[in-house]
Amino acid sequence: MAISTIQEVVFGEDLPTFIPDTSLAIASQFAKLVGWGGPRFTDHEGARKEGLPGAMVPGILNQGYLVAMIHHWAPDAEIKAIDTVFRAPVIADEKHTISGVVTDVNEEDGQVEIDLTVSNEKGETRVFGTATVQLPLG
Amino acid sequence: MSLAHRRPLWQFCPAHCIQLFLHFVGVLVLLDLHTHSIKSDDGRAKVENYCQWIRSKNLPLDGFVLTEHRQFDNESDYSALAEKFDLCILKASEVETEYGHVLVYGVTPALQEAFDFASIALPLAKVIEACNAHGAVAVPCHPGRPRVGMFAHTDELGVPEGVNIVEIYNGGSRDQEDQIAIDNATRLNYQGVGGSDSHIVSHVGRCATRFDDQIESMDDLVAALKAGKFEAVSLKGTV
Repeated sequence: MAISTIQEVVFGEDLPTFIPDTSLAIASQFAKLVGWGGPRFTDHEGARKEGLPGAMVPGILNQGYLVAMIHHWAPDAEIKAIDTVFRAPVIADEKHTISGVVTDVNEEDGQVEIDLTVSNEKGETRVFGTATVQLPLG
Repeated sequence: MSLAHRRPLWQFCPAHCIQLFLHFVGVLVLLDLHTHSIKSDDGRAKVENYCQWIRSKNLPLDGFVLTEHRQFDNESDYSALAEKFDLCILKASEVETEYGHVLVYGVTPALQEAFDFASIALPLAKVIEACNAHGAVAVPCHPGRPRVGMFAHTDELGVPEGVNIVEIYNGGSRDQEDQIAIDNATRLNYQGVGGSDSHIVSHVGRCATRFDDQIESMDDLVAALKAGKFEAVSLKGTV
């Protein structure tokens, strides 16, 4: 159920899990659109020659997925900040899962803090971060 | 600090119930020895939210140690939070050496004078020597990790003198990093501790260390580490 107001949010609540499209086709298309050329986003073999385990999903695309996940949960939310730490590359064509959980609720100003984690199929954290989200007071 | 969490037993999963039973009879204490708060440059967790999280999720932790990067937090006083949430909250540090990152438990003003905690290239020998001189304990963390882990450097630099304990379970480990740590710790006869290395609230408690004796202060923790009365625990996938 989508969240409409701050009163509906509970500390510790999980956001619905989000499966981002990490296909090489999307990663490559996005990288080209934003002007990031080079094999690290477009070609697994070329990325390996650069010392990477494979082609990566661009970081700002991952951030976009984090925002999309939050808006799936709370369509009227205003995302005040997304703060990410990229611990390991998100490898294209590998399945990843984004999880989110509410870790702070301020009912007075309508803001919540959300922990965000991008994990691969082995359960390893590739990206983590937090979001500060403004919700309607209701 | 009472170790008997004031919650009904049926709120816990079976593994937690066993842990809790042992707590009730005063046998074991479970501490996350490696956490970061917003005091660390890459930490995003407020300490109060760690406490809320541990209690709201019924984690089987009795407390946690804040190990801020390249500093010791002299300013913060978490005693009120510790009392409010009935948790043991201790402060330590994570410093950086040529062998990678090292947790330091038992930081005193004198120890802070002994070397520059902010340096990113401390000699491990100097850190260990200073810790020994000032009653502290140095524990290389995530030693199986490339670049920032001790075992990534032992082929080139040799096995360092004076290491007795390493972190064998780290909540942020990837690939075979923990196994590398365990294999090398076994080979070198090191003892192992566990810590989540949490930088955000929801990652606390993924790994921890179980102690035989009650831990209520940093002195207690240092004494228990020196006595070797502890065991690393991985709770990945359960918390």
